[in-house]
Amino acid sequence: MNNFPLSPTLRRIFLEALILCILSAAVGLSLNFKLIFNAFSGKAVSSPVPVNAIVDETAVENGVAVNVFPIPVELDELDELLAVGALLIDSRNSDDYQINHLAGAISFPLGLLEDQLADFRKQVSVDQTLVIYCSGYGCPDSFDLGVCLINEGYTDVLVYEGGFPEWQDAGYPLEGGGE
Amino acid sequence: MTLLGKTVYHVSRLGLAAVFIYAGVVKVNDIVAFAGQIANYQILPYAWNYLIASILPYLELLCGILLLLNMRVRPAVLVLSCLNIIFMVALVSAIARGFDIDCGCFKPDSANPTSPLSALWRDVGLLLLMVATWVLRYVKQPKEIE
Repeated sequence: MNNFPLSPTLRRIFLEALILCILSAAVGLSLNFKLIFNAFSGKAVSSPVPVNAIVDETAVENGVAVNVFPIPVELDELDELLAVGALLIDSRNSDDYQINHLAGAISFPLGLLEDQLADFRKQVSVDQTLVIYCSGYGCPDSFDLGVCLINEGYTDVLVYEGGFPEWQDAGYPLEGGGE
Repeated sequence: MTLLGKTVYHVSRLGLAAVFIYAGVVKVNDIVAFAGQIANYQILPYAWNYLIASILPYLELLCGILLLLNMRVRPAVLVLSCLNIIFMVALVSAIARGFDIDCGCFKPDSANPTSPLSALWRDVGLLLLMVATWVLRYVKQPKEIE
């Protein structure tokens, strides 16, 4: 190994590359400690983009702000909501739903909104509590579907931001045919 | 080194610096959205997406700055090459599983998402730039590298 002319240089390069990784990890972990802690402890993680914006300040009726965005819920709140009859809605595409979905969830892909909305309105009353999910944080479908359903008159619309991956990682029950 | 070699080296180095500084800055501004994009690949357990999303942008940023400053070029290129190969494996995995997701390469809330296939070709191009930078850096300073 020592006879290889580049080995001391390569060793130095590898060492410096490792130092770069450690330095970046130290900066990233210290600046985002709370975020990582919340993620690993199963708490909701907020985005600076208006995913968690519950009230649109421009939407004011009679001087009272109204909810126009779905409200985010955490994993540990779901048990309670489901116990009182909340309806779980899977907004991912139908194929993903067929493979696996949260136990008890119905499929309502955002892409099929126009096709399925009329049937959905017939089957689900507007005062039903709805909990919509998709593929986790950063997946916009659940939020977008929630906004659409609020615009359709549904009054109690919530978004489970952790979605399928968080539910699955927590070991909660799934249904579906699998892959 | 010839003038052509020097030109290719500096163009590659500065090109990589621009790409990774930009990528790092836009991701640092919205770590949660970036974590969501990593989660879309469905490779890591839920919370690990946040861990990776909290570190990766700073690594890209640091390496990009070093490339810009022409300092510690080969360690920076080595790190970025490893990252690039990992990105490519993830993209191939997404393509193989038929995922139609944004690659998560740059701005998380971009109005024009990049498909995994397009991102894969871009990563191949970046990898070529990295190889050129690595090789030409050695040619430039055969006795005193970095």
